[in-house]
Amino acid sequence: MTLFISITIAVIFGSAAYLMLKRDLIRVITGMILLGNAANLFIMAAGLRRGRAPVVPSEFETSDSLVQAMTLTAIVISFGVATLVLSLVYRVYDAHHSVDLRRLGSVEAVQSGLDDQPTAHVIQAADDAQDARQDREIAARQGGRW
Amino acid sequence: MTIALPLAILWFGALFIALFDGTRKPVGYTAVGLLAAALAATVALGIDVHRHGPKEMGIAGWEAGVGIALRADMLGITFAVVSLVVLTTALWFEVSRDVKARIFPALVMFMGLGLTGLFFTGDAFNFYVFFEISMVAAYVLASYGESPRQLRAALIFIVVNLLGSVLFLVGIAAMYHNTGWLDMDRISVQTPMLEENPVILTATIIFVAFSIKLGLFPFHFWLPAVYTGTRPAVAAILSGALANIGSYGLLRFGADIFPRELREGAWVMLILGSISIVYGGVQAIARHSPNEVLAYSTIGQVGYILIALSIGGEAGYAAAILYAVINALNKTLLFLSASLRGWIAGAAFAVGAFSVAGVPPAGGFFGKMVIFQIGIDDGRPLIVALVFVGGALSFVYMFQLYRARFWINQEADEATTKGALALVVALALAIVLIGVFPEPLLSISREATSILPERAP
Repeated sequence: MTLFISITIAVIFGSAAYLMLKRDLIRVITGMILLGNAANLFIMAAGLRRGRAPVVPSEFETSDSLVQAMTLTAIVISFGVATLVLSLVYRVYDAHHSVDLRRLGSVEAVQSGLDDQPTAHVIQAADDAQDARQDREIAARQGGRW
Repeated sequence: MTIALPLAILWFGALFIALFDGTRKPVGYTAVGLLAAALAATVALGIDVHRHGPKEMGIAGWEAGVGIALRADMLGITFAVVSLVVLTTALWFEVSRDVKARIFPALVMFMGLGLTGLFFTGDAFNFYVFFEISMVAAYVLASYGESPRQLRAALIFIVVNLLGSVLFLVGIAAMYHNTGWLDMDRISVQTPMLEENPVILTATIIFVAFSIKLGLFPFHFWLPAVYTGTRPAVAAILSGALANIGSYGLLRFGADIFPRELREGAWVMLILGSISIVYGGVQAIARHSPNEVLAYSTIGQVGYILIALSIGGEAGYAAAILYAVINALNKTLLFLSASLRGWIAGAAFAVGAFSVAGVPPAGGFFGKMVIFQIGIDDGRPLIVALVFVGGALSFVYMFQLYRARFWINQEADEATTKGALALVVALALAIVLIGVFPEPLLSISREATSILPERAP
């Protein structure tokens, strides 16, 4: 059971980390929410004992109920933060008409006011070139496979 | 003097202020007054603790060991006083100019509540709850101003710091699993008796979580982007008040709960601290915008705190506390005064710059001197060299910034009001005063280390 729970936590944590590295902000937020859930499961796992009922009341011996109180608090906090982040993402979308982190990043580079920074259209061109290169690579890979 | 009084003032005060329109001056000044009242209550508590020793109180009348305990000792009170000073100054500064969002004063008070609570709590999970209260306030404050740039900064800030919070939560769960306690005192009794491997893993997770808050070298990546985007008052709050969580957490969890692991990891902290100092200094020289220079300077300055921690022992911990306190005041002064114009603001900025570089009349000199002294006493030439190199680097970037900001560039971001000027001058005077009469602060930081159990290096 311990192994099963550890694997579950590991899979959720891994998926969350993968999602957080994505460019799409919605995926990043989903990753953050998943991450919080992995932590909650970890807290629950800290109080589980073999052969004991997890919930009071029960006629058998029960396992630690403090972890459930902690998890409940952590769930409430992560829920609050998730709403806050989602509303912020909406504001960012409102301001930039995009939730793509690379686009937001290129705006950042232009506005940081350094003289040696490339201007907007240079970044745009570099972006497009990179997109085209990636498309070609994908096409090449697919061509090789089929 | 009860421990709950500062918390009660902040809690009910924040709720009360949140009902009104914070952009109006009377509401803003009421919030400043309430913060100052909480500060006064904390100082009175500090005097009490200084005379009669640490205090403890069970929340809602539960016995010790069953319910959540509030504990006030010198370490927590020192950090609480500094954080409240910074918050009061930053809020006053913003109110004396113009508050842009109606929720701003209430948010600053909520952050004060979270910080004071986590400095006073004796329960690891309660620490996390207060920590999240202050973090949520900080998330909203980071987007204060609501320009596209500030929204982006807030987004980076939230994503990175939420990762830190989750790691910290996992660390607490692991501590609970290993020891069966959430009370920090009991955990610190238990940890030396446990097997080494699980404890060192837990200690590492918690170290990483606090390093992210503090902006240490490998975890610093979010800091410049956030500080460049935010308004000066918010940057001052983030670097002067919120970063205290990191220094306090490293002291409380490192020196108090995991002393054995801290000793084993001392060389790691020495290396990370050294890299932070050099990297922060070199990067700051290469930057131009004031907030960016100050952000990299923050990365460099926290390196000293880490080096002091890695030295350990009474002298090392006392140096870490002293440096954290002075650094918080320095950064607040610099962020605030860099946004003003005129020779008075320039003079105040110069005091902050001297303090960061460690030039005698300013308070920062003593922070550096204490570390320098330990380096010589212990016969560690590397630390002496680092303090010297770090000081030289900060001297260069500070005066580059001074020249760019007050000599060449005369454009003002916003109106320089008399109230704002008076505040930065008061803060500058306080830093000079610490430099001229360092003895009280030195003895307070020595007293604060006395509660840490393991003082031998």
